[in-house]
Amino acid sequence: MLERLMSLLREGKTRTVPELARELGVTPTLVEMMLEELASRGFLYALQGSCAGHCEGCPLQNACAAGGTRIWSISFAPPDGGEGRTGK
Amino acid sequence: MARRANSPLASCDCCTPASADNPLPTGTITVALAGQPNVGKTTVFNLLTGLSQHVGNWPGKTVEQKTGFYACDGWTMRIVDLPGTYSLTANSVEEQVARDFIIRERPDVVVVIVDAATLERNLYLLAELLHLPARVILGLNMVDVAEQQGLHIEPHVLQAALGIPVVPMVASRNQGICELVRTIVGLVRGEIPYAPRRPEIREDHQQVLASLEEIVGPYVPSPYPADWVSLKLLEGDSEITRLVQERMPQEAWEQIQSILHRHEDAVLAVAGGRYDWIGRMVRAAVARPRAGHITLTERVDRIATHPFWGLVLLGAVLAVAFWLTYAVALPIQRWLGSVVVQGIAEQVGRWLAPAPGWLSGLIIEGIIGGVGSMLTFAPILTLFFATMGFLEDVGYMARAAYVMDRFMHLLGLHGKSFLPLFLGFGCNVPAVMGTRIIEERRARLLTILLAPLVPCPARMAVVAVLAPAFFGTRAPWVSGGLVFLSLFALALSGALLNWILFRGERAAFIMELPLYHIPNLRTIGLLVWQRLLAFLRKAGTVILAVSIVVWALSHFPGGTIEESLLGRLGRWLSPVGAWMGFDWRMIVALLTSFIAKENAVATLAVLYGAGRESLPALLRASVSPASGLAFLVATMLFIPCVATFTVMRQETGSWKWTLIGTGFLLLLSLAAAALVFQLARLLGGA
Repeated sequence: MLERLMSLLREGKTRTVPELARELGVTPTLVEMMLEELASRGFLYALQGSCAGHCEGCPLQNACAAGGTRIWSISFAPPDGGEGRTGK
Repeated sequence: MARRANSPLASCDCCTPASADNPLPTGTITVALAGQPNVGKTTVFNLLTGLSQHVGNWPGKTVEQKTGFYACDGWTMRIVDLPGTYSLTANSVEEQVARDFIIRERPDVVVVIVDAATLERNLYLLAELLHLPARVILGLNMVDVAEQQGLHIEPHVLQAALGIPVVPMVASRNQGICELVRTIVGLVRGEIPYAPRRPEIREDHQQVLASLEEIVGPYVPSPYPADWVSLKLLEGDSEITRLVQERMPQEAWEQIQSILHRHEDAVLAVAGGRYDWIGRMVRAAVARPRAGHITLTERVDRIATHPFWGLVLLGAVLAVAFWLTYAVALPIQRWLGSVVVQGIAEQVGRWLAPAPGWLSGLIIEGIIGGVGSMLTFAPILTLFFATMGFLEDVGYMARAAYVMDRFMHLLGLHGKSFLPLFLGFGCNVPAVMGTRIIEERRARLLTILLAPLVPCPARMAVVAVLAPAFFGTRAPWVSGGLVFLSLFALALSGALLNWILFRGERAAFIMELPLYHIPNLRTIGLLVWQRLLAFLRKAGTVILAVSIVVWALSHFPGGTIEESLLGRLGRWLSPVGAWMGFDWRMIVALLTSFIAKENAVATLAVLYGAGRESLPALLRASVSPASGLAFLVATMLFIPCVATFTVMRQETGSWKWTLIGTGFLLLLSLAAAALVFQLARLLGGA
């Protein structure tokens, strides 16, 4: 299942969790669990957009990072140089 | 029945009294309670053990250890409450404690308590437990909550699929506890069949596992099971890897490493096997696995995130947002401009009649003209903030951004430059910071230069204010057109960037979109109020200061605007402005907009002498539609705000690149403005 998920992700598109769930024939919850596991093993990483205090005074500073969406991206090489194998 | 008096179950009919057929006592059973945090594990423990609990620490750890006793059918049950864990990797002390207890103490039974409402998440722990040397019972807790959420679980089907006993329970209401006790005793006595179906791994990986076990076997310390140790090695478990490496000769360890290196993907196969298994169990035993509101979200998303209809919907939503803003707020803005601000200016003019000319000029043209004109646009901003707040609160903004991704794909823009640009729809600052995911410096710099082209809500708000100043009732069309022009500029430069720099490079993104929900008027009201307050604060500080400086520079020396410093600078710049149809006042307004976009309005108001007359009337009298449109295009494409500029400096780490970026955006915005002006003039807009 994880291998199928990874090969879907390697196609290089942007997808939502329900889309992945439909393609794999499982529930969105299971997809979220798999994404978290892949992230903990260094195959994916979570991206968080943040203004980090730069937007003080901007009337729309809360609109940052597209409405609080959580985004994951694939690491074609594990970002920690192979440490992914250690499970964290 | 030695210690039953201590248990709240004393009155329960769980255990059969001693008789000739049922002799006493039989012995002691160790039962470990496992489970994720917040699944009701402690409730079960308290129900069973009552006052017989002993609380201490696990040897050498700061994790709390709770033990208690329960007696039934002549068996004394020693019940150990394991720490709440999500899995059994060596990631946390709790997980290590839990798995070490099962491996070293070998409890007779492990009861894993799961929350039926989140069965899938809970089954992961069970998938790992089944590989350990213990008999496992599944305590399916909170079945009432699951039913309320529309999840119907068939315990018998689940039991058949898992091959282990499953006991449905509602521990909070003391339901199912007796059944659990009977199942524990029955399992120990061998009266209940136990044939667990464990998660499997693919055949080729099973061979890898076998060869690992063969090499590792002689070095695995007791009481660790060799097959489990091999599995954990394949998974890359840090604790087990260290344990084995310490005990193995270098040569054998190198053999292991070479196998692991050749089968790096095995980690996915091992963990993936668990998800296959969870998927199978849920499909078998759970009816209607989706709750009602998720289905609604999915149904709406079929249109909202559709490659074509999603874009149509986004266009329609933006059009309605702008139309609503102008339809309601424009009449109020006109009234504020022509009645309130002009009225105040005239009254102040009468009061200041005896004062020197420069003072009445500063107050009427500089402050009332600049800040006052800007404030007449507050109703437009209020409505714009309210529509945006509504879309945010409903959960649509994330979809809008997702649909933009499809649009960018259509134009060939994808890969790593996508994410920063995607974040830009919320705010350009995280967009510039988001370029950190691009390793290559050249590509990163270019993406930083492009990020400010993404139309952020703050810039749309400025366009919402500027467009009616130039175009009155035609503003909705102009505003909508400007947003699309900005997107087009972004897609074009992005596609070019991608073609030159990221050719062939792939990047995947997965988005977890929030659920839709009914908007909360209080939340939106608060949001609008906070944003309006921030705008008013800006009007009272930055815009006020810039208005005064612009007025002073346009008044001194000489007392007339033509002889002033700004007038001379403007005349020097006017040949450049001619290309775009800007007079020198518009160029100065564009330059002051760098400090805060809203300054463009205030500066125009000061330089065109608003105060005694309303700014839109003045602009429409002296600026042609072609020039006005070109001015809006330049404002839309130029650097959005000082915060973005500061972050560009921080992220590029060089003033040179920040200035090059600013210069590029200035050139691009002026070139686009010139193009729009010339085109509009040809079409008769001059």
